[in-house]
Amino acid sequence: MAEVKLCNLDKSYDDGKTYVLKNINLDIEDGEFVAFVGPSGCGKSTLLRMICGLEDITSGELFIDTSKVNDMPPNERQVGMVFQSYALYPHMSVRENMAFGLKLANHDKKTIDERVNDAARILQLEPLLDRKPKAMSGGQRQRVAIGRSIVQEPKVFLFDEPLSNLDVSLRVQMRQELARIHDNLKTTAVYVTHDQIEAMTLANKIVVLSPLAEGAESNLEQVGAPLELFHHPRNKFVAGFIGSPKMNFFKGEIIETGSETSRVMLDSGEVIRTCNDTSRAKAGDKISLGIRPQDAISEASGDNTVTGTIQAVERLGTESFIYLEQAAIEDSCVLRVEDSRRRENGSNFTMGIPAESCHLFDSHGQSFVRTKAPHFD
Amino acid sequence: MAMVQPRNLKYRVWAARLFLIAFVCMIMFPFLMIISVSLRSGNFATGSLIPENISLEHWALALGFNWTSADGTIIEPTFPVLSWLWNSVKVSVVTSSLILLLSTTGAYAFARFRFRFKQGLLESMMVLQMFPAVLALVAFYTIFDKLGNFIPWLGLNTHGALVLSYLGGVTMNIWLIKGYFESIDNALEESAAIDGATPWQAFRHILLPLSVPILAVVFILSFIGVIGEYPVASVLLQDVDKLTLAVGSKQYLNPQNYLWGDFAAAAVLTGLPITVIFLTAQRYLVSGLTSGGVKG
Repeated sequence: MAEVKLCNLDKSYDDGKTYVLKNINLDIEDGEFVAFVGPSGCGKSTLLRMICGLEDITSGELFIDTSKVNDMPPNERQVGMVFQSYALYPHMSVRENMAFGLKLANHDKKTIDERVNDAARILQLEPLLDRKPKAMSGGQRQRVAIGRSIVQEPKVFLFDEPLSNLDVSLRVQMRQELARIHDNLKTTAVYVTHDQIEAMTLANKIVVLSPLAEGAESNLEQVGAPLELFHHPRNKFVAGFIGSPKMNFFKGEIIETGSETSRVMLDSGEVIRTCNDTSRAKAGDKISLGIRPQDAISEASGDNTVTGTIQAVERLGTESFIYLEQAAIEDSCVLRVEDSRRRENGSNFTMGIPAESCHLFDSHGQSFVRTKAPHFD
Repeated sequence: MAMVQPRNLKYRVWAARLFLIAFVCMIMFPFLMIISVSLRSGNFATGSLIPENISLEHWALALGFNWTSADGTIIEPTFPVLSWLWNSVKVSVVTSSLILLLSTTGAYAFARFRFRFKQGLLESMMVLQMFPAVLALVAFYTIFDKLGNFIPWLGLNTHGALVLSYLGGVTMNIWLIKGYFESIDNALEESAAIDGATPWQAFRHILLPLSVPILAVVFILSFIGVIGEYPVASVLLQDVDKLTLAVGSKQYLNPQNYLWGDFAAAAVLTGLPITVIFLTAQRYLVSGLTSGGVKG
């Protein structure tokens, strides 16, 4: 049980020539489950390995449970790590795998047996204790890897993409199991994943990292509760990263600012009313309008609509995904509609954009506050 | 298993079998020849493969017994073949063990640590390995001649000197073991470190047990290499009772009088320790030790 505090953490290679992480400030409270997400190359695994002690910290300070641990080796930091590849000792049985660290620490046999049996009970590994890793399935191996950290009674659990080697159904099952284990043990946990569903379902707090851009101050984009990130992304990067399918963006400019509602004109000419506070901007400023695929209304008419041509339709039974082409669209645009009618490629499609679902970003990608976002707790 | 096979498969399998049998015969023939020569009475290199009258004369002499010939004269063994055999085994076992010790630890450093000149060291080891030790014979002689003045057990005509000169063979083994270590996921040692293991403990308890197959290979290869080595041993060793079997058996081949029978018996004896070592080490030569530890 401990809190973890990261103060201005930097990581660079080649004597400061290449920075991977810059200015990471983060407070992880006792018992919290924190997920690091971000695209590949954003340094999320590196950050985890820095907390663990497998990578050294270039500058900044790292505290675990109020003591500074920058220069401590991994075992003195009292952390437990679960690797993506499990990293079980292949020549040892499950019991020996879990007992290895305790034996090195010269615990007496009774304590070792007690802790191993406890962990085996929590993880339902009791019937497998005498097996070798190669005689087990992926999910079982991952449970052993978790067990190996549990027996050490660490202050912090660190998970490095623990489920990404498992197949889909097993992943869902292990996800729930991880949630159950965390509920039981209430140990602080840090979890690295590229799967945002894992992050959204498991974590109390999500940390979004981006690949460090040239001249950027930091690559920590936003920290917050899962739904806060979903409804109030601080910038365009977070908006585009959280949520699946991705948010659609349209280019345009502000034609009327306001503290409750604003009006923007897309590059294709449509005028859209949005519920955002744009009082810090002025008319004529370039903006991006974001709308989530499931928020747009299909086949609407009248005001606040955008018309495009259908590129492709994916019909999935209860829902369809429609890919649109239109002059103001950045990258691509996909809509989720709740029917699976036949639609011809190349035909026109008009979608309605509800003002209260709009996300608005300035030319630097910073968001304008949404004034009528749905409530969540 | 139930794959559809072309119709002429049967003939091709038979052809392959015949080829393999012929190949085995080709390999076995010299070996059978030498056994045959060692069992023949008198010292003749030529003759039929199955000797007409079998005589244990050469074997008795090789194993240190007196031999009473048909006309009643007693022949005493000319050379201490058994102590040559013992010398060979001693030098080979000590050398192979030391090579194993040095190359394993060296390979670990090269595989896992980062230090200056690492690449340069590796490459220069590779290049130096390409010059046969024979080229340095004169150097070996002078070095050990001088060394013997200060450290007697490393001087000329000692087994210590021979072992030391053979230790140059670590370089190739370092490359071999390094390659094997690099195939073992680093995460294993990282998790050992998190479990509280020192680098030495991670090496001893995790990496070494997983590397047993390659260690067995290195041991066998260096054992075979050392026990059959002739040039260096023939220069460094001088006393008859200190010779190794490979050098010693040459003593039977005098310019005017080739004692083929005695030579053959000694040669077969050389193969004995290799066979024993190989049979012992064989059970460690199993693959798949590391499977299951990490997701493949």
